Amino acid sequence: MKTVIDPRDERTQPARIVPGYPQTPLRNPREPLIRRPPTLSELSGPLEVARRVRVLGGDIAGQGEKQAIGQLIHLRVRVLDEDGAPVGGTVVEMWQANGAGRYIHPNDDDHAPPDPNFYGAARLVTDENGQFELRTVKPGAYPVPTRDGWWRPPHVHFSLFGKVWLSRLVTQMYFPGEPLNAQDRILNAVPDTVARERLVAQLVPPSAQPHNALVYEHRIVLRGRTATPEQS
Amino acid sequence: MIPTGEATIGPFFPPRYVDAGANDLTLFEGRKAKGEAIEIRGRVLQEDGAALENLVLEIWQTDAKGIYRHPADPRHAQADADFLGWGRTVTDAGGEYVFRTIRPGATEGRAPHINFMVMYSGLMRILKTTMYFTHEMDVVLSAVPVSRRELLIAKKQGPDGYRFDIRLRGENETPFFDD
Ligand SMILES: [Fe+3]
Repeated sequence: MKTVIDPRDERTQPARIVPGYPQTPLRNPREPLIRRPPTLSELSGPLEVARRVRVLGGDIAGQGEKQAIGQLIHLRVRVLDEDGAPVGGTVVEMWQANGAGRYIHPNDDDHAPPDPNFYGAARLVTDENGQFELRTVKPGAYPVPTRDGWWRPPHVHFSLFGKVWLSRLVTQMYFPGEPLNAQDRILNAVPDTVARERLVAQLVPPSAQPHNALVYEHRIVLRGRTATPEQS
Repeated sequence: MIPTGEATIGPFFPPRYVDAGANDLTLFEGRKAKGEAIEIRGRVLQEDGAALENLVLEIWQTDAKGIYRHPADPRHAQADADFLGWGRTVTDAGGEYVFRTIRPGATEGRAPHINFMVMYSGLMRILKTTMYFTHEMDVVLSAVPVSRRELLIAKKQGPDGYRFDIRLRGENETPFFDD
């Protein structure tokens, strides 16, 4: 099993220093990043993360008495590698705000109420087609505490491993048609409009199944010319 | 007041995400890995010197014999069954992290080293670097400007310990790789 990895195309990736995002100039390197020849060290990587961390399951919206508040959605996500081949058996971690735009996190402020029936994180493993399905509620938008009124649009964070160290990806998924998408400083830090669109899921036309949830489809490409941009 | 990074875009990983024990690579499913156990500690700082709390670090390395647990390694069938080679931790309030692991072996063309990955809010992209134990040259260390190589070499600390501080930006900035 040998993997070839092309360098990432900078235009399809977010700028590291983002105007109006005050932490980015303090945390991103000043020195140019160093290009290194990929060796076995970078072209191998952990394939059995699921044996080290707890897999948490694909339903975080809850059932019965303990259901989260919000628009019930299903996310159908397909994970592909550089060659467009499905990446099966890889660990995918996700986290999101609740329906009101609040994270379950001590650092989150109190602009919106917590939801006792929503933890807001899952850890799954893709099937042999590189797919997973997650039942959740649509995350709310939330304000960023900068002085000038920046709101994050509804989004879901994803962290993926793939097959080698260089395919590790942390990204975010956005929802189509959200007015806040056009102003978000993180989404729009990606200069290439086509690459940016790859961060937005697609709404599947509602049908009989499932009768009670909206379905969104999304593709995450770990590397290559059609790679999904990083969004940490 | 400038808000903290965590308040800026919400948390990075949620609190329960870093499983207890994920930073101890010497134990895998209750079994002990072969080789010399070592401890790696360090602090992660941003440009103004502030220590970064709740920052996520991951590592990837060979086992004691220099074998990756991955089919790309021609010797992977002989990899230590009790060593995963991967770990994750988060920094504490003082910006400190700790990994317990096995001293990696050398591989073809490479001195013993440990791959690091840094993930945090305000980092728009994952940062990747590599920690070495000695100045012994290898193909990746050679790609680093001479004046900065020292920053990738861990400092011996105690009988089985090493210190590897990571400075994201500014004076003594850790070299990061573009890949
Ligand atoms: Fe968020």
